[in-house]
Amino acid sequence: MIVRPVLGVLERETLKLLRERGRLVSAMARPLLWLLVIGAGFAATRGAGAAEYQSFLVPGVIGMTLLFGAVLAALATVYDKESGVMRMLVIAPVAHHWIVLAKALGAAAVAILQALMLLALLALLGYVSTELSIPLLAVGLIGTAFTCASLGMLIAAWSRTLENYATLMNFVIFPVFFLSGSLYPVQMLPDALRLAAAVNPFTYGVDLLKHAAIAGPSAAFDPDFSAVLDLAVLAGFSAAALFIASLRFSRETAYEPLVHRLAGRRGE
Amino acid sequence: MNGLAIRAEGLTKRYGDVPAVDGLNLSIPAGSFFGLLGPNGAGKTTTIHMLSTLIRPSAGEAWVAGHSVRTESLAVRSSIGVVFQENALDHRLTVAENLRFAGRLNGLSSREIRQRSDELLELFGLAGHRDRPVAALSGGMRRALDIARGMIHRPRVLFLDEPTIGLDLPARRAIWRHIGRLRASLGITVFLSTHYLEEATDCDEVAFLSNGRIVERGAPGPLIAQLGRCIVEIETDRPAELAKRLEPRLGPVLVEADRVHLRCEDEPGALLQAELASLGSAMRWRRPNLNDVFLWVNRAQTDRRQAA
Ligand SMILES: Nc1ncnc2c1ncn2[C@@H]1O[C@H](COP(=O)(O)OP(=O)(O)O)[C@@H](O)[C@H]1O
Ligand SMILES: [Mg+2]
Repeated sequence: MIVRPVLGVLERETLKLLRERGRLVSAMARPLLWLLVIGAGFAATRGAGAAEYQSFLVPGVIGMTLLFGAVLAALATVYDKESGVMRMLVIAPVAHHWIVLAKALGAAAVAILQALMLLALLALLGYVSTELSIPLLAVGLIGTAFTCASLGMLIAAWSRTLENYATLMNFVIFPVFFLSGSLYPVQMLPDALRLAAAVNPFTYGVDLLKHAAIAGPSAAFDPDFSAVLDLAVLAGFSAAALFIASLRFSRETAYEPLVHRLAGRRGE
Repeated sequence: MNGLAIRAEGLTKRYGDVPAVDGLNLSIPAGSFFGLLGPNGAGKTTTIHMLSTLIRPSAGEAWVAGHSVRTESLAVRSSIGVVFQENALDHRLTVAENLRFAGRLNGLSSREIRQRSDELLELFGLAGHRDRPVAALSGGMRRALDIARGMIHRPRVLFLDEPTIGLDLPARRAIWRHIGRLRASLGITVFLSTHYLEEATDCDEVAFLSNGRIVERGAPGPLIAQLGRCIVEIETDRPAELAKRLEPRLGPVLVEADRVHLRCEDEPGALLQAELASLGSAMRWRRPNLNDVFLWVNRAQTDRRQAA
């Protein structure tokens, strides 16, 4: 019965999110800031097309919420390692790869929750079109969230402490966001950046969200890839990332270092 | 699982060349209360981690509830509860949420979790605290909750690694009351590790661990009885000198810090009392306890090593 342990992890992640108001507020504020300030500013310098560019940014900022939400939730696993929670996890009669998968699902779930709240807010502000494709939106949200969560689990598997948190923000989360099609269409990027975007799985998540036409169909900003390619890349990356994270995680538990840290023998 | 709850054969854990646990043999009957005793660094935690499948033995094998710790780790983990030396709780969640999380991880349904949480919180005197965050609980309450957490899935075997470490006396007493009630109501096997030896007096069997090896084992009563009926302690500035003077006349003596210990079959008579009192700055006598068993076992070990 693997369903209940996974449910348990999901419940805990949700509880934590709802209890941390600050996390929720910044999850809403950050994308809105980009959309309203950057979007408008960009248009102002160009002189025209403000509304159009903002519409283009909508999938990108939803992707941003998913990226930050999922990676940060997955990184909380490092906090679990330092606190008592990991003791509860390692002593549970659950194979360790299931724990990795459950944590990834939990991180994806809280990211989707945040994205849905942002979507509701955007709808109120008039940024959501009635012509959006709900199935594509659902697939885009789930695929992007799960991919970002897997990326987060991969990082968490190698992080010993949360001290390098700022480093991770600067060298992982921001580059992943900037080097994607979130702010500009991929075809319009210079060669080097286009290459970076092409190997960035997050690009394909945002692309999938573009397919959903959240802000309405806009010929100027078509998606860069086919939805099938997007999904294939997301699935492939997630599977590989979780596989590697599981290997790393079970090595840590079966072969001691983690257990020693849990036993409170730090630095020995 | 009639018969043995825990069996170990030559269980060994080496770090580099140094054995932390060295060729441990155990057979612990189901339903009994077993105490693994020894000072810090003796290898108690390492033993518990091997028995609960968290670390892999370097050599030897063990079976818990009939399952091999090497090859059937999931089966072992579902039949045991483990209370670690440090809490396994999420301090940001409430009491009830922690039990719910632990219950879910162990595959329990919501109804089972609710029912067992109620029972355990009642048993551990936490019924009025279910919605408080763990961060707001006292050390004793956290420990009690952690034991409840380890019992939520009704394991057959409960491991307690130094369950009272860092607690004040009333909290320690409360923890022992809880454990006593658990044993009485569920008939589980309890495997206790502690370096507060006097806490193990209620065990059915104890084993003294020293540098990873068992140096003495048996039921506490007979182990204590074999020391005689009375231990005399004399406080002095020169314990070694006094020990040398007393030994030929009064049999084996033992030096512990600034004290010389003597074993007597009976309380010392008035004459002897007066004489012993004049030898040191203070003298008292009392009944022997498990601490004495450990001290005398160590003394015998040292003698043997010196003879060799
Ligand atoms: N990861 C490790 N590396 C090296 N030595 C270790 C490690 N873990 C434990 N030890 C050593 O093994 C011995 C037993 O430790 P432990 O089982 O924690 O003892 P106890 O629980 O009885 O205090 C100690 O000497 C300790 O230093
Ligand atoms: Mg220990």
